[in-house]
Amino acid sequence: MTTATLEKPHAAAYQLLALDGKGKPVSDTQLLAIERFLRAEARLLDNERYREWHGLMAEDLFYWLPLRSNRFRREKRPEIEPTNMAIFDETRDELDLRIQRLESGMTWTEDPPTRHVYAITNVEAFETEVAGEFEVHSVFTLYRNRSEHDDNMLMGRRRDILRQKGDSFEIARRLILIQQATLLTKNLTVFF
Amino acid sequence: MTSFASTYMDLDQGWIDRRIFWEKEIYEQELERIFARSWNFVAHESQLQKPGDFLTTYIGEDAVIVTRGQDKKVHCFLNSCPHRGNRVCFADSGTSRSFICNYHGWAFGLDGSLKGMPEDKLYTETPGFKREDWGLKPARVESYKGLVFATFAEDAPSLDEFLGDFRWYLDAVLDADEGGTEFLPGVTRSVLNCNWKFPADNFVGDIYHALWTHLGGVHPMLAAHGGVAIDNENSYQVSVNGHGWEFGQNFLGNAATMGDRDILRWMKSRSDAIEARLGTLRRNMWGAVSSATIFPNFAFLPGYFTFRVFLPKGPMKTELHAWTLVPKNMPDEIKDKFRKGTMRTFSPSGMLEMDDGENWEHSTTANSGFVTRSQKLYYGMSPRGQEKDPGMPGQVYRGQLSDANQRGYYKRWAEFMDAKSWSDIPLAPVTGGPVSEAAE
Repeated sequence: MTTATLEKPHAAAYQLLALDGKGKPVSDTQLLAIERFLRAEARLLDNERYREWHGLMAEDLFYWLPLRSNRFRREKRPEIEPTNMAIFDETRDELDLRIQRLESGMTWTEDPPTRHVYAITNVEAFETEVAGEFEVHSVFTLYRNRSEHDDNMLMGRRRDILRQKGDSFEIARRLILIQQATLLTKNLTVFF
Repeated sequence: MTSFASTYMDLDQGWIDRRIFWEKEIYEQELERIFARSWNFVAHESQLQKPGDFLTTYIGEDAVIVTRGQDKKVHCFLNSCPHRGNRVCFADSGTSRSFICNYHGWAFGLDGSLKGMPEDKLYTETPGFKREDWGLKPARVESYKGLVFATFAEDAPSLDEFLGDFRWYLDAVLDADEGGTEFLPGVTRSVLNCNWKFPADNFVGDIYHALWTHLGGVHPMLAAHGGVAIDNENSYQVSVNGHGWEFGQNFLGNAATMGDRDILRWMKSRSDAIEARLGTLRRNMWGAVSSATIFPNFAFLPGYFTFRVFLPKGPMKTELHAWTLVPKNMPDEIKDKFRKGTMRTFSPSGMLEMDDGENWEHSTTANSGFVTRSQKLYYGMSPRGQEKDPGMPGQVYRGQLSDANQRGYYKRWAEFMDAKSWSDIPLAPVTGGPVSEAAE
């Protein structure tokens, strides 16, 4: 363990926090390709194709869902900081562990399975300083239903760094911003 | 008056009536007789470092503000304006010099006292109005080694008496290092549609569920090591005043489930120092397969060091607030690994916690059926009797696989529910624990 390995994921966190959609918009053709990628990704999650979904992640993935909180506007300390507790703060290998849980055949609370549908909208994409890497903003709506009355909807924003990989992309960074400071659901047995 | 102890349970026979998890009337009595009477966890001192630091939370369903005052003391008072009742502070935490009600602008100090209001002449010219009568109602506040508790009961014993000899065990997580402890920044909040007692009784003494509920969750981390192993000969349940702790003696059994070698390496490096400080038994408790609840609704897991409160929001709804506690002297990079380790296991996305909520929700909602809630629940598991001369404080049972602590918890619940005042509630004698242990 060295300090450098600690700073590395936090550097990725600060990079994501700084994404503000001020870069040069990508071409319409490129935007279409990015939207196509995000729609296909959402379909993998809809269908619990988690291994294939995991295959979209870059080796240096940083995947982050920070906590939100109710704070006065005058507070100086930022609401979201990389050293705060989080809901997800994952490398590619750590996401793999979570998928192994679902693949274990012993996750009783997902059998019968939850039904998911993701809608991905408001997609915007911008060039970055790195050729072949794109800053992508989107909005997700996640609807979940399981058992009889267990019904849940969550909306939020994502900020991604997508990296060109052949004629498609891989996900190198993902920030997921939900709007609930108190999660109005018992768990997040989901990915975003 | 209904006798809860005789009507709703027979702990010798090992049954509990399901109505205590369902009926609105019983729940309303709990707000009065459990939460308005008990000491309740409200903060860790590290969350309130400087004068003006505050956070908001609940005692039962009573919203409260907890502050560090200009006098450096921790204060706790109702978060409801005594003018028209509006909530006064809407932030979760922060720093402030005062709290001003949005409705008419009544302003309160860091100790909850009424400081002033717009057009104050309207009041100074009102006969009989006294500003000091209309502050935010204060609670008593006391701390144990960093954990701050509050109570609205004027006749409650001291926090030290309330915790009693459970403090000796608490030191295994609160006093394992001379530098004390702190909460990592950030509180995880989520809502479960369950009765608040199900998570509390789970943590007080139910390691049994881990052998089944969490098989999938521990599989990726522990399958190669043979999964969760419980040694029922070398493990215990202890119960003091309804507080309970079930624990093994495997030192790092819980911690290992986070699957982080750097965490385990660091914890092992602390082993000798902790043993010198607390003795062998409590060294072994520090990170072992274990769980604990401080009556009525504050729980933690050694090893992961997740600390959590189960706030009641009606008989069928519970709000879970969770934090991670670490020794202050822990290196920053290890703190960061704990931040991720507890998140990965015990948070709404945690590979273990994700499986708990659904069980507690359906244990609760099944009781909507009249016939269903007429069938008692079995809490009788008791593979061994109470240890007669355990050499440890409290009621001690050998074998962490047992319902002993859960029975102790509900016995306490019934004592609170049946009592007219604190003078009716028994307190276990305080021995201070085997003093020689630390010096061994």
